[in-house]
Amino acid sequence: MRWIIKLDEGLARLSSLCGWVACVAMILMAANVFYDVVARYAFNEVSIGLQEMEWHLYSVVFMLGIPYALRSDGHVRVDVFYTNWGQKTKAMVNLIGALIFIIPFAYLIGTYGYEFALDSYNMGEGSGDPGGLPNRWIIKAVIPLTAFFIATAGLNMATFALRVLSGEKSYEVEHSGEGLA
Amino acid sequence: ATQSLAQERFTLRLAETWGPNFPIFGDTSKRMAKLAEEMSDGRLRIRIDSANKHKAPFGVFDMVKAGQYDLGHSASYYWKGKVPETLFFTSMPFGMTAIEQYAWFYHGDGMDLMQEVYEPHNMLSFPGGNTGIQMGGWFRKEINSLEDLKGLKMRIPGFAGEVFAEVGVSPTNIPPGELYTALERNTIDAVEWVGPALDLRLGFQQIADYYYTGWHEPATELQFLVNKDTWEELPADLQAILKTAMRVSAYDMLVQSQHANAEAWANIKEEYPNVQIKNFPEDVFQAMYDANKKLLKEAAGRNELAARIVESQENYLDKTRAYTDISTRAYLNTMGEVE
Amino acid sequence: MIGMIMFGAALVLLMLGFPVAFTFGGVALFFGVFAEGMDLFAFMPFRIMSVMQNKVLMAVPLFIFMGVVLQRTRLAEQLLTSMGRLFGGLPGGLAISTILVGALLAASTGVVGASVVAMGLISLPVMLAHKYDKRLSTGTICASGTLGQIVPPSIILIILGDVLGLPVGDLFKAAVWPGVVLIGLYIAYILVLTRLKPETAPAMPTDNTRSRKREIVDALIAIIPPLALIVVVLGSIFTGIATPTESSALGGVGAVVLAIIYRQFSFRMVWDSARDTVKVTAMVFAILIGATAFSMVFSYTGGDYLLEDWLHMLPGEEWGFIILSMLVILVLGFFIDFVEISFIIVPILAPVAEAMGINMLWFAILIAMNLQTSFLTPPFGFSLFYLKGVAPPEVRTIDIYKGIIPFILIQILVLASIIIFPEWYGMSSTY
Ligand code: NA
Ligand code: NA
Repeated sequence: MRWIIKLDEGLARLSSLCGWVACVAMILMAANVFYDVVARYAFNEVSIGLQEMEWHLYSVVFMLGIPYALRSDGHVRVDVFYTNWGQKTKAMVNLIGALIFIIPFAYLIGTYGYEFALDSYNMGEGSGDPGGLPNRWIIKAVIPLTAFFIATAGLNMATFALRVLSGEKSYEVEHSGEGLA
Repeated sequence: ATQSLAQERFTLRLAETWGPNFPIFGDTSKRMAKLAEEMSDGRLRIRIDSANKHKAPFGVFDMVKAGQYDLGHSASYYWKGKVPETLFFTSMPFGMTAIEQYAWFYHGDGMDLMQEVYEPHNMLSFPGGNTGIQMGGWFRKEINSLEDLKGLKMRIPGFAGEVFAEVGVSPTNIPPGELYTALERNTIDAVEWVGPALDLRLGFQQIADYYYTGWHEPATELQFLVNKDTWEELPADLQAILKTAMRVSAYDMLVQSQHANAEAWANIKEEYPNVQIKNFPEDVFQAMYDANKKLLKEAAGRNELAARIVESQENYLDKTRAYTDISTRAYLNTMGEVE
Repeated sequence: MIGMIMFGAALVLLMLGFPVAFTFGGVALFFGVFAEGMDLFAFMPFRIMSVMQNKVLMAVPLFIFMGVVLQRTRLAEQLLTSMGRLFGGLPGGLAISTILVGALLAASTGVVGASVVAMGLISLPVMLAHKYDKRLSTGTICASGTLGQIVPPSIILIILGDVLGLPVGDLFKAAVWPGVVLIGLYIAYILVLTRLKPETAPAMPTDNTRSRKREIVDALIAIIPPLALIVVVLGSIFTGIATPTESSALGGVGAVVLAIIYRQFSFRMVWDSARDTVKVTAMVFAILIGATAFSMVFSYTGGDYLLEDWLHMLPGEEWGFIILSMLVILVLGFFIDFVEISFIIVPILAPVAEAMGINMLWFAILIAMNLQTSFLTPPFGFSLFYLKGVAPPEVRTIDIYKGIIPFILIQILVLASIIIFPEWYGMSSTY
């Protein structure tokens, strides 16, 4: 049991790290779009590179946010029955779901995503537009990277479910209590 | 053995960059599939998936390369960010007209050079239909001098965008869904799209008065991509049939474009008297011509293959244009004088 | 047929309460690998990439960010309660204010995920705190947050314009009146309901120490700053300073500026808002990615061809055709997202409609209205999921499912009125 707790906490830190990166990207994205609007309107300046940076940052926000939201139970559930179930039943749903849905799904996206990004790297792919960003493989690599972290977050869901099954933790504590945060 | 081989049936899957029922472009892939099936007596069937199904309009290259699709219908210059030399097989600013370019492809070195570019990516590429001369774009104010282009915000992608950038335009990325609103509200000043038939659908004629004539894409050629493994699996007769179907449907698109653009233009002239056709002033053309030369030189300097392609196109253009001058141009000039 | 079985399986499994996004993804995985093999999933990176490059969806995190900042700084609460106070002793004031704010947001974006979530953040806590009925609150928010689909600028209308070959400007103009009528009827519904059951939407408590006039003046003053923010967002679109997507960034930055003015600003607040935004955005996009896997399996196992075959069996007589095609779209809207419907179904219906001499502009508005409704219909209506994702735990899925029903009925009513009396909306059913 002890090593499960250790693993659980270690995996949780990975998801938090993803969340941290996504938060930084979020703030940068808002600033980036704001700057682009002001620069275009006030100074008549347009940079395709900066315009492309917008969607690069936006991609990081929602992609790396997914594993983060997994750990903090931010993904919406249909709770018609779920809320009324006991801790053990909830843990079973989460344990099985993580093992047969999340991890295989992440595995498939990860392996095909890896080839997708690798091919881009091998071709030296960049933007086709004037002044666009080079090294398209970096943003494409976010796909397999996210898949990897979704898999670790899925494993994390499983380890946490095991802790709940053992009676050491419960879902109320982790639940997104105040509605949002 | 020949007997059983002759009976073998193939169903190939084609991914196209356009949405379903996209006019002219989509008609071309459908026409190709129909021709191939009819000529092969049903042995070669082609199933078309449009962008709504594969969701990757600009992933057609990668999907055909990886064999996820056997065929693709797209445009070569979309892959310029991946493989810079693909740029040359669509249309070049101040380059050849459709008939001149077809001559280069089918009777000059065009086709061989194109295969050389696509070969390392496990694909063959064939001409896939021509739009004819594309219009220079919709402008909300008149361009009277180079000065008017400075800082002008325009949706103009790709190599042509680079040429525009050289003369001071600010190429701007706007998602197609927001283009109309962006032009209407002066978020951008100009939009380049295709030609009357396709532009009409987006409604630019309602919000922009100046429709400039084209120079940047005088002969936009689409492309059919074929995965090489698929190609090699096909028996020789089906290869021939596929090739013929691609070639016929490509020519036919040029013809259809001429027809549809003429109809659409008649329509615009009648219903939108606000629209005026304009030519860029001579100094603008000259500046863009020089900028294009400079960029082409840079592109040719990148590697040996690019240099050979640019050289082949330049030489071919010189020769073929000399003939165009004493035939088509002479005729149109004569017509202009007598009218 | 596999596609149909897959819908059933997803429906059952969703009820188990595993996260929606991964239930979609997992079910798609099993059916996809079973029917087509693993390699089908080689398409997934392309599909994810197309979401990543869809800059219009960038409005989702940006609008959410604006909503979160407004919520955290309590400026949203101030806006809504002040608007509510303007209604004095009239019950339902908060709900009506919510609808009005939703309408304003609708005019600045066409992305449902953005406005539903932003509205959920801004007004759900306020309504619940003022003892509003959970069902009424959630129904109001889902419905008004989804208005962006029909009120221009609207993604549905742009896609339909593309598919049907109609000028976007004409579609936008034609959609204005249906949108206005819809908003009017939502408000009328709140007024009628609160007359019958005032306890579902209690009036704002009146402050006896102040005169009514004083109260109204105070309320108006309190409304100004957040309203100014909305005006900046809308104004930047109408004047062309920003595209609708970019305007959402102005909204986010503007909300932070307001926080500074009101001395609510701290770096902690911005960071926490970013964290909430990331979490909610991830929830929305995980659903989009799960759903894209789902629709990939559906179409690559031949579901789209099956649909086409069914559609070709629709009757060839005008009224029968209109009514049945609307029913088909409504029912499919339960399961398939509007982009798929626009691209698979509309191209099949359009030539038939055209041959009957049906006015395509009118037909497009009918479809848009109908597709908007599909965001609201349980069990798969995405707006419902989005709101659930930001609602406090005491709001159950079933509350949202039940709360939306009256609004769906209003949608159907308006749709029917456009069908029967197109002239009320300045349209005609034929050319
Ligand atoms: Na073009
Ligand atoms: Na809208």
